[in-house]
Amino acid sequence: MSEGQSNLVRGTLDMLILKTLSLQPMHGLGISRRIEQLTDGVFDVKPGSLFPSLKRMEQEGWIEGEWRESENRRRAKYYTLTAAGRNRLGEEKQNWGQAVMAITKVLETG
Amino acid sequence: MPLLPRIRNTYRSLFRKRELDRDLDAELQSYVQLLAEEKIREGKSQDDAWAAARAEVGRVGDVKENVREQRLGASIETFIHDVRYAFRGLRKNAGFAATAILILAIGIGGSTALFTTIHSVLLRSIPYDSAESLVVGRKTIRGVQRGPVSRVNYLDYRELNQTFEQFAAISWGTTEVTMTGGTRPALLQGTAVTWNLFKALRVEPVLGRSFTLEDETTGDGRVVVIDYGVWQSRFGADPDVVGSTVHLDGTPYFVIGVMPQGFRFQFDVDVWLVISDNFPVDTRRDAHSLLAVGRMKDGVGIEQATADLGTIATGLAEAYPEANAEKSIVLTDLHQYLVRGVSLNLRLLMATTVLVLLIACANVAGLLLARGERRMAEIAMRGALGASRLRLVRQLLTESVVLTSVAGGLGIAVAWSLQIGLLHLLPMSGLGFDSPVLNSAALSFTLFVSLLCGVIVGVIPALRGSALHPARHLGSTRTNTLNVRSRRLQSGYVVLQIAVSIALLVGSTMLIRSLAQLSAVDLGFRAHGLLSGEVNVQPDRYPTSEERAQFFASLLDEVEALPGVESAALTSKMPLRALGTDWPAWPADQPQPPNQDAFMPMARWVSPGYFETMGMPLLGGRDISVSDDANSSPVIVLSESAARGVFGDTDPIGKELRVAFGPIQDPIQVIGVVADARVNGLRRIPDAAMYMSARQFGATRLWLAVRTSGEPDRLVVPISELIERKDPDVVFSDPLSMTTVVNSWQSGFRVVVTALALFTAVALTLTVVGLYGVLAYNVSQRTNEIGIRLAVGASRNTLIGMVLRQGWKMVAPGLALGLAAVYPVTLLIRPLLFGVEPLDPPAFVAACGLIVVVATLAAYLPARRAARVNVVDVLGQQ
Repeated sequence: MSEGQSNLVRGTLDMLILKTLSLQPMHGLGISRRIEQLTDGVFDVKPGSLFPSLKRMEQEGWIEGEWRESENRRRAKYYTLTAAGRNRLGEEKQNWGQAVMAITKVLETG
Repeated sequence: MPLLPRIRNTYRSLFRKRELDRDLDAELQSYVQLLAEEKIREGKSQDDAWAAARAEVGRVGDVKENVREQRLGASIETFIHDVRYAFRGLRKNAGFAATAILILAIGIGGSTALFTTIHSVLLRSIPYDSAESLVVGRKTIRGVQRGPVSRVNYLDYRELNQTFEQFAAISWGTTEVTMTGGTRPALLQGTAVTWNLFKALRVEPVLGRSFTLEDETTGDGRVVVIDYGVWQSRFGADPDVVGSTVHLDGTPYFVIGVMPQGFRFQFDVDVWLVISDNFPVDTRRDAHSLLAVGRMKDGVGIEQATADLGTIATGLAEAYPEANAEKSIVLTDLHQYLVRGVSLNLRLLMATTVLVLLIACANVAGLLLARGERRMAEIAMRGALGASRLRLVRQLLTESVVLTSVAGGLGIAVAWSLQIGLLHLLPMSGLGFDSPVLNSAALSFTLFVSLLCGVIVGVIPALRGSALHPARHLGSTRTNTLNVRSRRLQSGYVVLQIAVSIALLVGSTMLIRSLAQLSAVDLGFRAHGLLSGEVNVQPDRYPTSEERAQFFASLLDEVEALPGVESAALTSKMPLRALGTDWPAWPADQPQPPNQDAFMPMARWVSPGYFETMGMPLLGGRDISVSDDANSSPVIVLSESAARGVFGDTDPIGKELRVAFGPIQDPIQVIGVVADARVNGLRRIPDAAMYMSARQFGATRLWLAVRTSGEPDRLVVPISELIERKDPDVVFSDPLSMTTVVNSWQSGFRVVVTALALFTAVALTLTVVGLYGVLAYNVSQRTNEIGIRLAVGASRNTLIGMVLRQGWKMVAPGLALGLAAVYPVTLLIRPLLFGVEPLDPPAFVAACGLIVVVATLAAYLPARRAARVNVVDVLGQQ
C-alpha cells in the first residue's frame, strides 16, 4: 500500500494481514508478497507499514510470532493467527461489509 | 480477547524493550536476506540484489522508529490525545459534565473527609513516644470491666509486676480547685496522678521538674505541676513561677514545673497534683478511683502484661478476700482507649459516605450510558475508521477518568470544608486532630478513589459503547431504537441506588427515632426553668462543718429572696453534671455483703426542699427537713429502685440501713421515697439513688439548684453578685440552665445523626434524580411510539400507568434488595440506638413509604409528559 492510499483505512491493512495469515503461517516478506499477489499488485505493502502493523497485532494478541526455518533454510519469523485474531478477522470482515454498504448508500443518495 | 497473552504482551512491551528491539533487528535482517535471495533468484547479481533489498526496506532505523511508536510512544500519545478529546467533549456538554462532576465531588469529597479523619484519629499513632507500648488498666469483677482500680491494689501491681517499665495511674476524673491569692479567686480543673505518670508517657516539663518518688512517699504532697496555658494566662509566662507558692483550696502548694504547650492526657486540666500518702485517694482496697497507665517493657506484649498482672490479682484476691474476691485488672491499648468515644461514630459516617459514593457512581454511570447512546454515531464512525474495540474502550474510559479526576479535585475542597464541620462537631482535639488535614495520605486517597470511580463509572458504559456495529449506527442518530441492553443496565443502576438508599434511610430513621426518644426521655426531674451551678467555700475560712452548713443555709435563704426565684436547694452532685459516687447500702439488721455482691446506689447529700426544686415527686414518707442537722439522728431518702434494691418489696419507711464508704457509720433511718431520676447519664436506665441530709455533713462544695419563674439564665448575674457580696473568696462556677445541660448530653449523638440524615438526603436526592432521568429519557425516546399509541386509541391514563409501571419495575427490586441489605446496617448502628429495637418496624415503614412516595413522584412527572404528547405533532414528524 503506497503512502497515498494508506490514509484510507488503517484498519484495512490489519484486516488484509489477518486474512492472509488465516490461510497459513507466514513471515513478513511472505505476507507482503501474498497481498501483492492477491490484489494484483494494487497493494504493495512496504516494511515501513508492515512491521508496525504486525507488532501492534502481536501486542493485541491477534497473531503470534515464532522463529522458524524458511523453505530455503533461512531463519525467519513466522506469524500465526490466534483464536482471538480469527475472531477479530470475523469482526473486521463484518464491519467492513457494513461500512461499505453504508458508505455506498451515502454516495448513491442524491 | 484472551486476557493472559494480552497482559504478557503489554508487560513485554513495557519492560523488555531491549529484547523486543533485538528481535525486531533480527527480523528485519532476515527480511532483507529473504528479499535479496528472491532477487538473486530473479537473476540479479549478489551485490545488486542486496543493495536493492536494502533500498526497498528503507532505512532500518525508520522502520524501527515506526514500530516503536506503535508500541509505547503511541500509547502515551494516545493517552494525551484521549485526555484532550475528553476535555473537549466535556466542554461541549457542560451541563452533563457539571452535573456528573458535582455528584461525584460530593461522594469523593465526603469519603476523603471521613477517610482523612479516620486516618488521623483512629489509625495514626497518638502523640507519645513509642505509644504502642502504652496501656491503660481498669478493674474487672468476674471478668466484667467495672471501672477504676483501687490505689492500694495499684501500689501492689506497681511493686510486683515484672512486665512494666513504668506502672502509673491518673485519677478517674477531675476535681475542681480554687486558686486564691492575686486579684480574684479562680476555679481551676485539676487531676491527681502518681509520680511516674509523666515518666510513663515520656513527657517532661518545659520548665522545672517532674514529680519524683520522694514527692509521693516522703514529702507532704504539696507540690503541683501547672499547665502551659495557665502559666501563660495567670502567671504571665513568668519563669520564676517555678518555686513559688500558690494556694489551692486554701492550702499552700509549691509549683515545681510547667508542662509543655499542648500537653494533655485524659482531661483538659490546669494543674496536676501528685497522689501521695498524704493525699486521701483510695485508702482502702474497696475504694476505687484510679485509671492505671502502664508502659510495658521493650518486647513485652499486652497478653504477657495481662498475664503478669492477672497472677498478681489472683494473689491479692486470696490475701484480701473481702475486698478483692473475683477482682482483677484488664489492659487496653491506650490508643484504642482514647478513641473509644469517636471510633464508632467515625466508622459509621465512613460507611455512610462510601454508600453515598456508590450511589453517586451508579448515578454518573447511568448518565454516561445515556450519553453514550447519544454518541453512538460518533463512536460507530471511529470504529468504522479502524479504531479497535480496545482503543474505543480506552478512549471512553479516559473520558470517565478525566471526569472523576476533575470531580476529585473539587472533592478536595469539599473534603476540606467537611473536615472543618466535623471538627466543630465531634470531640477530637484530644486525639491530636485539631485542624483540617490535607496530607499525602488524603491526597493519595482522593487520587485513588477518583481513578477507581472513573473505572467503576466508565467500564460498563465503555464496553457497551464500543460494542456497536458501525453500519447500524452510522449516519443515523435520531431514528435509532433504544439499545435494549443499555436500557436494562441503566435500570440496573437505578435499582442499585434505590437499594442503597433504602439501607441508608432505614438506618437514619432508626437513629433519628433514637434521638427523638432520647430527647423525650423522662429525666425524672424537670429540667425546664432550672438553673444549676457549683458553689465552693474555702475550708480555711469555714473550718468546721457547722460554719459551712451555716453559710450554705443563709445562702439558700438569700437566693430564694431574689426576684424570679421560686425555690432553691443544694446537692452534692447535680444530676447529669457531676457523676459517679456509688456506695454500698444494706439493711442495718444484716451483715455487710461482700463488695462484689453489694447493691450500690448513687449517694447524694441534699438540702431540705431539694426534691421539690428539682421536680422529683415524693412517693411516700417525708422530705429532709431543716431539723435534720448534725445534732439529730441521721436520715435518708431513697429513690424507688434504691428502696427495692435494699429492702425488696417491703415498705422501707421507718426502716434502717447502713452505708459503707461514707462518713456515717451508724444505721440511717429511711424517712421517704422519691421517684427515680437519670442522675448519672441520659442513656442509662434511671439510677437508684439515696439522698442524705447535707446538714448532717458539712461539705465545702455543693451544687446550687434554682427553680426560676422565667428564663434561668437571667438569674446568673444576680446570684453571682449575691455570692460575691457575701464572700469574695467563694466562687459560683459554671452556671448553666439544665436544659442546656441536657442538650449537651445529646449533642455528640445529634451531630452524628444530623450528618447521617444529611448524607442520606443527598443519597436519596441522587437516587430520585437518577430514576427521574431514566424515565424522562425513555419517554423522550419513545415519543413516536406514544404518539402512535394515542393515535390508535390508548387513553392518557393508560399511558401514565405505563410509565409509572416502568418506574415501579425499578423501585420494586430496589426495595427488595435494600431491605435484604438492611440487617448488617442495623448491626453496625446497634450501639447507638436508644429506645429502638434493631429491626424497628416504624423505621422500616417510614423508609419504604418515603421511597415509594418520592419514586412515584419522580415517575409521575415523565408520565404526565408522556400523556401530553401531541399526536398530530408526532405523526407529522414521521
